[in-house]
Amino acid sequence: MRRTLISVFLAIVAVVAVGAAAFALDSGPSSITKARIERSLPATFANLYVQRAALQGRTGLTPASLHAKTMCDKGGAASPDVGAGSDWNCLMSWTDPEVPMPPEGYGKFELQVHSNGCYTAGAPSKLVGFQTITDKKGRTVNNPAYEFDGCFDPQGDNTPTGVVFPSLLTVTSTTVQPTADHKAAVQISCGTGHGGCTGTVSATAGDVPLGSTTYAVKEEQTATLTLPTALPAGATDVTFTFTSKTGVVPPKPSTIPLQG
Amino acid sequence: MTATIETFAGRRPHVQPRRVGTGAVLRWELRKLAHQWRAKAVLLAALVGPIPVVFVIHGQSRPPKDSLFGRFATENGFALALLILGFAAQWALPLLTSIVAGDIFASEDQHGTWKTVLTRSTSRGRIFWAKTLTAALFAVVTLAVLAASTIASSVLIVGRQPLTGLSGQQIAPSHALALVTASWASMLPGMLAFTCLAILISVWSRNPAAGIAAPAVIGMVMQLVGALGGVEPIRPFLLSTGFEAWHGLLTAPRFTQPILEGAVTSAGWCVVTLAIAYLTLRRRDITGG
Amino acid sequence: MTEALAVDAQGVTKTYGSLRAVDDITIRVAPGEVYGVLGPNGAGKTTFLRMLFGLIRPDSGTIRIFGNTWQDAGVGALAGVAGFIESPRFYPYLTGRQNLEGLALLDGGTTPGRIDEVLAMVDLSDRADRKVGGYSYGMKQRLGVAASLLRDPRLLVLDEPANGLDPAGIRDMRALVKRLAASGLTVLLSSHHMDEVEEICDNVTIMRRGSVAFHGTIAELRAMAPDPGHALRTSNDTAAVRLAENHGVRVEIDDAEGGLTVTGPQQAVSAYVAALVAAGIELRALTPTQTPLEALFFMLTDDETGRMEPQDLDEMEAAG
Repeated sequence: MRRTLISVFLAIVAVVAVGAAAFALDSGPSSITKARIERSLPATFANLYVQRAALQGRTGLTPASLHAKTMCDKGGAASPDVGAGSDWNCLMSWTDPEVPMPPEGYGKFELQVHSNGCYTAGAPSKLVGFQTITDKKGRTVNNPAYEFDGCFDPQGDNTPTGVVFPSLLTVTSTTVQPTADHKAAVQISCGTGHGGCTGTVSATAGDVPLGSTTYAVKEEQTATLTLPTALPAGATDVTFTFTSKTGVVPPKPSTIPLQG
Repeated sequence: MTATIETFAGRRPHVQPRRVGTGAVLRWELRKLAHQWRAKAVLLAALVGPIPVVFVIHGQSRPPKDSLFGRFATENGFALALLILGFAAQWALPLLTSIVAGDIFASEDQHGTWKTVLTRSTSRGRIFWAKTLTAALFAVVTLAVLAASTIASSVLIVGRQPLTGLSGQQIAPSHALALVTASWASMLPGMLAFTCLAILISVWSRNPAAGIAAPAVIGMVMQLVGALGGVEPIRPFLLSTGFEAWHGLLTAPRFTQPILEGAVTSAGWCVVTLAIAYLTLRRRDITGG
Repeated sequence: MTEALAVDAQGVTKTYGSLRAVDDITIRVAPGEVYGVLGPNGAGKTTFLRMLFGLIRPDSGTIRIFGNTWQDAGVGALAGVAGFIESPRFYPYLTGRQNLEGLALLDGGTTPGRIDEVLAMVDLSDRADRKVGGYSYGMKQRLGVAASLLRDPRLLVLDEPANGLDPAGIRDMRALVKRLAASGLTVLLSSHHMDEVEEICDNVTIMRRGSVAFHGTIAELRAMAPDPGHALRTSNDTAAVRLAENHGVRVEIDDAEGGLTVTGPQQAVSAYVAALVAAGIELRALTPTQTPLEALFFMLTDDETGRMEPQDLDEMEAAG
């Protein structure tokens, strides 16, 4: 009996020691890196995209012809791009004559990366479709590229891929909220990408110019822009025109109704 | 009692005093094992256990997507065999081998038979190695039976469809069968390491229950620790890491370095645990029984 | 060249914590001898026998068996030695025969038919193919003897072979040990029953709390023995006590039991009893209370404060 108790005690001590060691050595280098994911994800996606195309009866696509490439980022600008987590985002571009890329030139994949070097990726449904697709015989089948698993070699090539995509700036406000001194304010968000979003925004309310202001937002962050000139009486909406220095901005001016 | 005792002093001994080889002791251990219901129960479980599991998963309307190959498991026999492999590595393999390895030394304490066997012509060292070899052989047979049963029932019940690998590549059925078999085979070093661990606990605790339960619990703890983030420095030393090394076989291009590293880690665990177990048994005073 | 002693234990000591389980024991057993180790439970007999078999390592001292030590010969020191310590233990899920077959494997094999022979010797032939789990205590004890005989030993070590047996079992076991001893085997017998040892042993060591309390031949032991004691009941105890003074016996009133206790040489007691009758004192009962050797044994070992059970040893080992 005593021996059993000692065994249990030692086992607990061992577990606690391992746990403590894990925390103490927290800063150890991880095998889960940006470069390895950026090599594995496009290859896996390309295979599955071609498989999806074949299900739909399309021929002529090959994994190589897609020229898929990606840039990955973990947890925004502030967080180092290393280690397991469900906050990995990857921007991927590929060439499919029938499905052109959006203006920013890529689609965004969300990844859950496990500590064993495997990941689960969710593809952008605008470009890849939803969970199920209709195959060439008219049956509803699983879309292999919609959500998929992959694994990479934890000791594989770790030199940077050099793939870079710009951040996409989006206006997140659905209405323009006037400030206390009747100026137009709008919320913008800078997506995953390289270098964040900087540039100038100018606005008009009807024919009345509201002036312009510069912005600088880091990737995966939001900011509120306030224009210098007060809104004229009777204005119903505001049109914003973005001029980018870094990052991709909406190509056309965005018109947003004024609240109240 | 019958009076058939002749003159002992005058008779030639039937047994020439000589050292007994490990082979004879191994035969004895295997015979004992063959008469134990728990050994038969483990082999039976390894043989028939996968069949209902395959039926149940095959009958699911939603595939278990949160495990590797789970998303294909309801419609692909090879994927199902790999899904079961992932679960087996988490807890079944350590437990199955411990049921014999964790008991093989402690049962001598339980039955009080150390004094019975150690007062014959066999050294403690030979008994130790014979028991260790018996437990290892049992682990090999158990893994082989479990793998064969899982792969056969998955393929027969669900089918031989082309398998989508971990790089999205399509794998032809014949090649997939070889890769799935190799993946199951890659569990062997880790399973043997758990066998060694169970032997140590069996020798040290002298308690069959501890010898069986502790390795399974330690296996679960390793699995949990390994899944934590920020444990990179200790991951290579965990036995659970080697249990995931088969992922490399299912990617394109294939990578096998983790399998080799897992085998080295398992060998390290075995050397350390067996050395401690051996010295413990050699130095021990047998006071019970 | 002189033949090596069957057992030559010199200054053997084993300590558990502060307890000296065996303290500087020296025992020499010549080949062909029937040697008794006597002592109450916990006197250290079993610990000594475990050291003889290499199950426990002595802290100091040497044990030679037919000239071999554990240090030099390893398990080879047990060549020609067989026996059991405390109650023999077997695998309950195997039959008696399977147990013996396995032990024969550990001995390096045996000749065909030998297992049947030893089973017959201990009268287990008809139960040999039943699982040991269903054996009675006495059957296991006899299987233990069979397992020992399987080795065709030159030295047979038996630890309390009659322990836990019913009267018929004790009688059979003693008869078996006697026959084995008579066949020329060297026998080392441990017991806490004086009469068992007295019947068959040539030499005896009496142990008390880990040490040797007496060592010598049975004849020497007898010479040391006190006068036999008797319980006496008479019609007139006071007169009987008075009469004792002239007859060389000691008569005391037993306050606890009532009646008298008479101690003295056998002849004196007889003369005293005759005198009682002659004096008209009615004699109602005269019963021997202890044999002389039993009395001596209890005198030598009466202090049981060092009493220790095997379980205690196990616990102590776990703690140490």
